[in-house]
Amino acid sequence: MRNINFGYGISRPRVINMDNNDLRKSNAIIAEMPELQACIGCGSCTASCTAGNLTDFNFRKLHTSVRRGEYKGAYEELSKCMLCGKCRLVCPRGINTRGLVMLIKRKLGDF
Amino acid sequence: MDDILLYFAPFTIPFVVGTLFLFIAVGVKWVLWLMRLPRVDKLLIRRGIFTRQTLIAVWEVIRESLLHVRIFKHNPVLGYMHASLAFGWFLLIAVGWIETTVYLGADFVPLQGHVFFKYFAPHLALQEHYAVFEQLMDALLLIVLSGVMLAWFKRLRSKALGMRRTTKHVLFDRIALSALWFVFPARLVAESLTVAVYGGGGFLTGSIGGWLAEVVPADVLAMVYEPAWWFYSCALGVFFVAMPFSRYMHILTEIPLIFLRRWSLRPNKERRSYDNFEVEACSRCGICIDPCQLQADLGLNDTQSVYFLRDRRYNMLSLKIANNCLMCGRCEAKCPVGINLNTLRLNSRAKRRNIPHEGRYRYLQGIDRSSGMGKVGYFAGCMTSLTPAVQRSMERIFEAAGEEVWYADRDGGVCCGRPLMLSGETDAARKMMESNRALFRKHEITTLVTSCPICLKVFKEEYHLEGVEVLHHTEYIDRLIAEGRITPKSDNTAYTYHDPCELGRGCGIYDAPRRVIGAVGKLAEPKHTRRDALCCGSSLANTVINDGQQLRIAQRMTAELEATGCDTIVTACPLCNKAIARAATRPARDIAEIVAKNIE
Repeated sequence: MRNINFGYGISRPRVINMDNNDLRKSNAIIAEMPELQACIGCGSCTASCTAGNLTDFNFRKLHTSVRRGEYKGAYEELSKCMLCGKCRLVCPRGINTRGLVMLIKRKLGDF
Repeated sequence: MDDILLYFAPFTIPFVVGTLFLFIAVGVKWVLWLMRLPRVDKLLIRRGIFTRQTLIAVWEVIRESLLHVRIFKHNPVLGYMHASLAFGWFLLIAVGWIETTVYLGADFVPLQGHVFFKYFAPHLALQEHYAVFEQLMDALLLIVLSGVMLAWFKRLRSKALGMRRTTKHVLFDRIALSALWFVFPARLVAESLTVAVYGGGGFLTGSIGGWLAEVVPADVLAMVYEPAWWFYSCALGVFFVAMPFSRYMHILTEIPLIFLRRWSLRPNKERRSYDNFEVEACSRCGICIDPCQLQADLGLNDTQSVYFLRDRRYNMLSLKIANNCLMCGRCEAKCPVGINLNTLRLNSRAKRRNIPHEGRYRYLQGIDRSSGMGKVGYFAGCMTSLTPAVQRSMERIFEAAGEEVWYADRDGGVCCGRPLMLSGETDAARKMMESNRALFRKHEITTLVTSCPICLKVFKEEYHLEGVEVLHHTEYIDRLIAEGRITPKSDNTAYTYHDPCELGRGCGIYDAPRRVIGAVGKLAEPKHTRRDALCCGSSLANTVINDGQQLRIAQRMTAELEATGCDTIVTACPLCNKAIARAATRPARDIAEIVAKNIE
């Protein structure tokens, strides 16, 4: 078995001050896809990810950061996604992850 | 000049103005659309125009634009309703023209002279043999009126005419529709009044006219006679003015569309001027509404092809409507105009694509995790990696057949690109396609087998793999059985087969899977099957509906499969398999699984 980065690991200690983060885009994303709040952060999306299997790409980490208002580099990172849709099939909360990828890109990028 | 004055009456003005407006508006549209065609399309026209295709197109115009054979095939009552209006009206015009020519000779008669002949020449009624025309025209008018009656009735009770739902119309459609409904009753009234005043008339106008002459005083008749003709002319005028902006533009758009199609113009992944012909050829008949499972199962009433085309035509298409489609192709299979609904939906999404930046998918460079040495390549596909049983079964079958196989993506591979294409990012998808194509070329495979119909379709349509035969695993297994390379044993298990959209309507593969199932057990067909098969609801083309909605579609469709009383549900798509498995009460298997199980 190949080593798959499930998105768990030792992260460097850091502090996010939510008061300093601009949550407008994050709120807009959640408003359009409220089911995202049902995410339990299990990481199944990342584990099944076709792109994540080939390169350093972690969808769980990414949408969690975006929800917290950490948008830096998120759009570029999301461009690695191939939109194959496996994550949607494995999501135990039934979140429309493909729609979410497109939604985040639309809100953060140059659509 | 005298002729024109002879055939002039003030009441004809609305009709004449309306007709002129119609010809100018339609002419401008046609010329603009044709001028804006890209050079490749113009070349196709130049190549096609002097070939047999043009004659075939003429025949198709007669069949489809006049007789409407395809609507008849879909539903005879609807077909009669439409043909009685369209073909009946055409005959009224044609016979009316012959009528005037017979009685006035070849002299020039202005348009309104033909249309309002009865008004201008009531004295002809006394001529010899004229009764033949009177009876004929009355019969035609009666046929058209029967169509109008059916159309009225359809608005009240659409189910009686075989449609559960009919289209909700926009303002221009309502204006044009109302005007059209009034045209023929108005004609009946105007002609009957003329008969009442001057005599003559066929079985219809003659009887009504005679009756009117008896019960209505002569001075009242003289008073309403002129206004009746005014009303008829106004109804025609309003209809013609509204026509280019309403659904009735389809009457005049379908004709050039048929020609262009015969000259092999097609809509493409990118929007082109040709699309205008397809979009405006939609008559908004609403036949696409009933087959749509988003309507039937989820009650969504704004996203069906008829509304999508309407929104696109009037430039009010929202991202949500464009994306909210399973692209299962059930409506496309039923469209009486033969509009390429899926392609148009796809290129509506393409307009909104982001431009892929240079570095996008750079990580794909040099990726090769394939294994094996065979000339037969097996591309499982992303979804198949979530159904490992399918992959294992295929390996078993390959082994049993003694096939040496090159496994393209057993240890992870690059997506085929179709999911990205389906969401309109055509340019970005191309990077994935190039990566996979390079891989296939590098390993010099001659046959490419895939277990995923989504991949299959894009391999066939976009990859241009000359020299490589692209097969779905059902076709491949079918071939192995036919060649005697594997001999699965047959038992009495009752199977029912679900046609995956991309495999059936998408690639036209219906028989191979059925032959394979027939070789291992008994096959029972569900109610909707083959070209009419239902979608599992999990289609990658739809990014709008949520999980619960997907499940509801899957449940309805699975219930139909289970109604056959089968032991096992069989499908040939890993995505359909997943969708059915969670809605079914009995096992859902891939064809590869049931074959592998029955190999000694």
